[in-house]
Amino acid sequence: MQNSERALVTLPSELTRPRTRDGRIDVPRLLAAAALGLAVEAQRRSWDAAAMVAGRVGWPLRVLARPAVAFAQGSVAVARHHLDLDGWAARGLAEQRRVQAAAVRAIRALISALVAAVLDEIDLDQVVARVDLDQVVDRMDLDRIVDRVDVDAIAQRIDLQAVVARLDLDAIVARVDIDAILARVDLPELTEQVIDEVDLGEIIRESSSTMASETVDALRVQGMRVDGLVSRIVDRILQRDGQRQTSPPPRELGP
Amino acid sequence: MTREIRYAEARALQGHRAGFASRVVADAVDLGIAWLLGLSGLLAAGVVRYLLTGPPLRLPVLPNWLDAGTGGVIAVFYLGLSWAATGRSVGKQLAGLRVVDRRGQRLSLRRSFARAVLYVLFPAGLLWVLASRRNASLQDLVVGTVVVYDWAYRPADEASSTGDDPSPRPAPSSTQG
Repeated sequence: MQNSERALVTLPSELTRPRTRDGRIDVPRLLAAAALGLAVEAQRRSWDAAAMVAGRVGWPLRVLARPAVAFAQGSVAVARHHLDLDGWAARGLAEQRRVQAAAVRAIRALISALVAAVLDEIDLDQVVARVDLDQVVDRMDLDRIVDRVDVDAIAQRIDLQAVVARLDLDAIVARVDIDAILARVDLPELTEQVIDEVDLGEIIRESSSTMASETVDALRVQGMRVDGLVSRIVDRILQRDGQRQTSPPPRELGP
Repeated sequence: MTREIRYAEARALQGHRAGFASRVVADAVDLGIAWLLGLSGLLAAGVVRYLLTGPPLRLPVLPNWLDAGTGGVIAVFYLGLSWAATGRSVGKQLAGLRVVDRRGQRLSLRRSFARAVLYVLFPAGLLWVLASRRNASLQDLVVGTVVVYDWAYRPADEASSTGDDPSPRPAPSSTQG
């Protein structure tokens, strides 16, 4: 057991060596440590002896011991009733919880103090300065990372309508300097190009000839109507029957 | 320019004999054209005289017989040449008419001039169109000509062959000058 404690915890030298600094033996501390060691060794050996006896005696002893255990349990019940064991146990448990809470508080305070001390000692700027970010980036395979990103899925999850709805187009347009844009546009040259592309003369010729021909057509058709009207009036005055022979000149009438 | 005649009644009457009103309009326009030609001749004569004899610049005043005779000659040449060339003078072009012979063909130069002379000598012959069942004037009866509705423009050689087809001319795809 001492070996295990030594292995787990490193004790200060003044505890492991019961000697003073000038080499003499510290008798009181030596005696106290010896008593503790003796008690611990005696406890261990008594446990070993009991285990050995139990192993050699075997089941007869366990059979005989059962009534004793039952009696002990019964006596414990009687003692519990008369000696207020529950009250004592409650006090013991409360003391145990109090000690645990105190230990937790002490450990937390210790940890915070330790961290603060460590941080005071460490110069984070120096630490960061010692990190070679370029090397870190070189070791990253960006292509693999990009391959693992599903851009389509991301785009599908974007609500464009909501984005557009949040855009204040009026504000954007208000920030556009139209005068500056117009100043950069060479309007005379642009106008000349447009005029070069558009054959104004052809357009005017077509429209004027169309207007003229439409006017002439209207005049001609009015003449046709008046022709028919005059013919009907004259035919009625002359009391003629039937229509006039205005069909196209037949070939057989020719000389 | 190729275009379609938009009036259905006009399309139906293409090639038919024209009535009195259209022909009066056409002849009135032609009378004005002949008058302008005579005036142009007088103006040209006045300018020539000014260049030769000096100021003042004024139109020559002709004796009445010479004035009427010159006007008649100008009108005869104008009408005769127009009808012989295309079958239509300026007035008939405006009214959409064409003068053809009884077979529907272009007039010969002799028949065209004969018709022009008759019209200049006796314009009142046009009134017979009112009474004629075939819309013929006295000149038409004498010379043997027919005035038809023809809005289409076509060259003289095509116009001369239109008489081969007795049916109304197809108007929808006609060409107009």
